[in-house]
Amino acid sequence: MVGEAVVLSAILFAIGTVGALVRRNVIVVLMSIELMLNAVNLALVAFSRQWADPAGQVLVLMVIVVAAAEVAVGLGIVISLFRNRETLNLEEASLLKW
Amino acid sequence: MIPIPTLHVVAILPVLVLAMGAFAVLSGELFLSSRGAGKSGAGSVLVGVSGATLLTVVVITVQGFISAEASEFNPDHPMLHLDRLAYFSSSLVVGAALLSCLLANGYLQELRIHHGEFYALLLLSTAGMVLLVCAVDFLSVFLGIELMSIPLYVLAGFDRGKPRSNESALKYFIAGSFATALLLYGMALVYGATGATHFATIAARLDPNDSMAMVGVGLILVGFAFKVSSVPFHQWTPDVYEGAPTAVTAFMAVTVKLAAFAALLRILDQAFGAVEALGSVLAVLAGFSMCVGNLMAIIQDNVKRMLAWSAIAQAGYLLVPLSAGTAEARAAVLFYLVVYALGNLGAFAVMIALTHRGQEADRFDDYNGLATQRPGLAAAMVLFMISLAGIPGTAGFMGKLQIFLAAVRADQLPLAILMALTSVISVYYYLRLPIAMYMRPHSERPHRRELDFLEFVVLATCAALVLLLGLLPNTLDWLPVIDWTYQAATASAPN
Repeated sequence: MVGEAVVLSAILFAIGTVGALVRRNVIVVLMSIELMLNAVNLALVAFSRQWADPAGQVLVLMVIVVAAAEVAVGLGIVISLFRNRETLNLEEASLLKW
Repeated sequence: MIPIPTLHVVAILPVLVLAMGAFAVLSGELFLSSRGAGKSGAGSVLVGVSGATLLTVVVITVQGFISAEASEFNPDHPMLHLDRLAYFSSSLVVGAALLSCLLANGYLQELRIHHGEFYALLLLSTAGMVLLVCAVDFLSVFLGIELMSIPLYVLAGFDRGKPRSNESALKYFIAGSFATALLLYGMALVYGATGATHFATIAARLDPNDSMAMVGVGLILVGFAFKVSSVPFHQWTPDVYEGAPTAVTAFMAVTVKLAAFAALLRILDQAFGAVEALGSVLAVLAGFSMCVGNLMAIIQDNVKRMLAWSAIAQAGYLLVPLSAGTAEARAAVLFYLVVYALGNLGAFAVMIALTHRGQEADRFDDYNGLATQRPGLAAAMVLFMISLAGIPGTAGFMGKLQIFLAAVRADQLPLAILMALTSVISVYYYLRLPIAMYMRPHSERPHRRELDFLEFVVLATCAALVLLLGLLPNTLDWLPVIDWTYQAATASAPN
């Protein structure tokens, strides 16, 4: 049971990582990062059960709270970018290079 | 019946004071703006409150360092461990935050983005850094990193009418939260392999032949490599440093690196001591950072971008002693962090002092002929540049010397030689500013803004310390910095 949960979390994490690296829409990238964080939560809960230790679950609660704070700030940043540039495409966010 | 844990407030006093200061600033601004107080008057009150908060915390941490009494937060399940290492690094972080806070007042007014939230976010971010450098558990490491980073994402986009600032915030946010996710998955895997989140327990149970644990350790290292901007996880650094308002760049370039390196120092020593392969991985990261950072810095035409690549190179120098892992090497890391903070804060302070009417002085051309118009500022810039380059007589030289000696004694001769060679390359780009200031005719743009008093204080502090540490690093009775770094580096590990 724990083994399956860990494998599933690894798959979710891989999907999230690839999504964050290859997708160009900011909102999709944010969703991919959320997927990575939720993969972490799943792994932590599984390991917490395996070791019969509550510390993993405490960490999950922390991750949920912090991820919510992070995504709120992230969306705020996206909105301020959109106001000035009218785009959600990361490729077009290229004023700064080299 | 769940026992109520005894909380040791002393251990979280610095964090508490910083957080309360942040809320005082927020509510203070509300009160002042409802009273219709003048913008500049309100600004000086807010700078005063946040400066006083940071100064209080510096005093608390310095006293903790002197008394050398280790204390823990919640001893049954220790989250924070305040030993001399924690006190030394937190006083360093908070001191650097204090200097960048003093720089902000004049700069934000020149750019017409003077809002109280700046100081509140700066204080909250500093609280996260203090949490991070005291952390001895994955839970508190994670909390510290996020409390440090989230306010910084906002600060990078603080000049929200400017597309460059937006873009800097976005890039920092995506790189930062991606790194956090990697770090967290690493923590989850190490937790799965050892069943513990506390450093000392992990160190006791970690098996270097367990592949899941090693993947976890690797992911944690990658997460930190993002935060300290080491090659190949550095791409965000130049963009973020260039786009963010200079006062923010000064704060994050210096304090984030201090906090992340101090935390990495503790994790490598106290949690992952058993993993011998880490030394060679860190050595590779160090080598690439030194080469790529120094070579890319040469071709920049923006001063902030040049300093960003130089920060990547400096991260490489700092990774050299980390890969050696001896107590002497850890002391060298701490000493170099002091040197790095002074040199960079000084250089950014000069840039900030030249910001005039919304115009930043961030191109090399802006510095042409500065020596005839502003001889004091030009001389200070030369001092900070030659310190960053590591020329004898300045703090930078002493810092590099400590790293070099520690690396040679730990049989890291190839890395030490690579460091000396890349430092020679770095002299070329660090001297571009002095050449522009002293040898070129001055540009049409007048540099007329008067130096504000707080900026003068910061510049004078940095310049005096750069010279003192360069000429008399350990001879003054009241400033034995090298002894302090040794005391911090050999602080006993928690059990």
